Amino acid sequence: MSRIKLVSGPSGIRFVMPLGLAMLVAFNIPVVLMLAWGFSSPAGALAPWADMIERTVYLRVLANTFRIALICTLVCAVLGYPLAYWLCCLQGRARMIALALVVLPFWVSILVRTYAWIVVLGNNGVVNRSLLELGLITEPLALIYNELGVVIGTTNVLLPFLVLPLFAAMLGIDRRVLQAASGLGAPPGTVFWRVFFPLTLPGLAAGCILVFILTLGFFITPAILGGGRVSMIANMIDLLINRMPRWELAAALSTVLLLATFVCYAFYLKLSKRGAA
Amino acid sequence: MIAGPRWARWLLAGFGSAVLVFLCLPIVIVVPMSFSSASSLEFPPPGFSLRWYEAFFGDRRWLQAATTSISLAALASTLALLLGSIAAYGLVRGRFRGRPLVELNFMAPLILPQIITGVALYIFFARIGLLGSFAGLVIGHTVLAVPYTILVMTVAIRAFDPDIERAAMSLGAPWPLMARRVLLPNLLPSAVAAWIFAFIISFDEVIVTIFLAGAHETIPKRMFNELVLQVNPTITAIATLLIGVSILTVWAVAVLIRRAGLLGRVLR
Repeated sequence: MSRIKLVSGPSGIRFVMPLGLAMLVAFNIPVVLMLAWGFSSPAGALAPWADMIERTVYLRVLANTFRIALICTLVCAVLGYPLAYWLCCLQGRARMIALALVVLPFWVSILVRTYAWIVVLGNNGVVNRSLLELGLITEPLALIYNELGVVIGTTNVLLPFLVLPLFAAMLGIDRRVLQAASGLGAPPGTVFWRVFFPLTLPGLAAGCILVFILTLGFFITPAILGGGRVSMIANMIDLLINRMPRWELAAALSTVLLLATFVCYAFYLKLSKRGAA
Repeated sequence: MIAGPRWARWLLAGFGSAVLVFLCLPIVIVVPMSFSSASSLEFPPPGFSLRWYEAFFGDRRWLQAATTSISLAALASTLALLLGSIAAYGLVRGRFRGRPLVELNFMAPLILPQIITGVALYIFFARIGLLGSFAGLVIGHTVLAVPYTILVMTVAIRAFDPDIERAAMSLGAPWPLMARRVLLPNLLPSAVAAWIFAFIISFDEVIVTIFLAGAHETIPKRMFNELVLQVNPTITAIATLLIGVSILTVWAVAVLIRRAGLLGRVLR
């Protein structure tokens, strides 16, 4: 042990203090105020909440959001699991390139990626025009400006969030366990489903929850590819603040979203800790 | 991995490549579109032209938005880096009660949906009269960028051997001198990477900006508003410029991280 302490006791706090105070004023207090705003309607503390439950539109939007989040999570898992597994099988330069392609979209603005889907899937887009020219359809398919468009766009943006941690979890699995299983006579299918897959489940679940949380609060993609028809919580909140001015209702809906996020995040922490152990 | 039959390996490779194509398709599509001569969304483009780049660089409102975006991102990422690095040092080297909670609080803007941060700051700024001000935007973007600087800097500081700091101090350097001569030079590559990270986060930010900006326009805010209303191919030119800048930045960060890693290995 050294005699010289770098920082200890209260002096460690000294370093954290400036940011701590800044966050208190610019983040914590605003969030608490927002929570309080949901209970401070002139019509009574619980009025916005009663409104939220009585007017079915808000509950419908909530249910819709959870349903879309669930669909996107499932699609991400189905697409992402084989991709992560394939990345593990690749070696050297091929793996580097494939990984770079997974990470690249992270660095490109969501707006840009969402816009591209209008070019690909719109009425005049690549897919519809090819299908029309081939004579497979007589009028353009409605691929965007509906729920399908939202799911495609959201999945495209969020897929790397599932693939990267899952890939890391798969790399962390001890290959000798797999060798032992096949050495004892298990066919490849059995090794995969009985040994490998169960070992990757915590990583898969953590990635799924991450995607689920991120979809719950998604705003940009539904606003652009939903065509104003599919309303998710975030778009509803935007409407309530920027168009209708009904702040107390927006605050109440934000509180629901905040709670849902917290619960999911607690699960995520638990799972990713178990995955690391 | 598991040695499966040949058809299974081909199936896996085919599926994996298809998913990679799906991931990168938007980026691959936008770039040729930006050089299209047509004003409709035809793909492949019927001819080559630079009209959409001319439309961008010839429009004073877009250029004004670019200026706002760049100065906003520069200010917010610098603030986030300064506050974040100092706090990261305290988080890694300090031992005090509630440290995990403090760290979680700093990471919260990353975990919470941005719409919540947007609504919270909207209501707060409306009360204290900062709504629609540039200062309010800088504050909002700093809050969103802080988790990224904390993330990068805690990793960098954790990887730096505290014995080197102790060695400097046992040779008589007071803490500030040690920080300037030992700590800073070693953490510099990571700090630059963290700053670039924070800059991109701020530069791409849409949601909180829509809530707080008032009359101020940033590039993403204008892009978003145009996209919701109509399809304007000028956006493909901006998108291509942004993709180019992003790829250059990724390359710069990769070089910086490699240099940081090398430095760490040399010192160890």
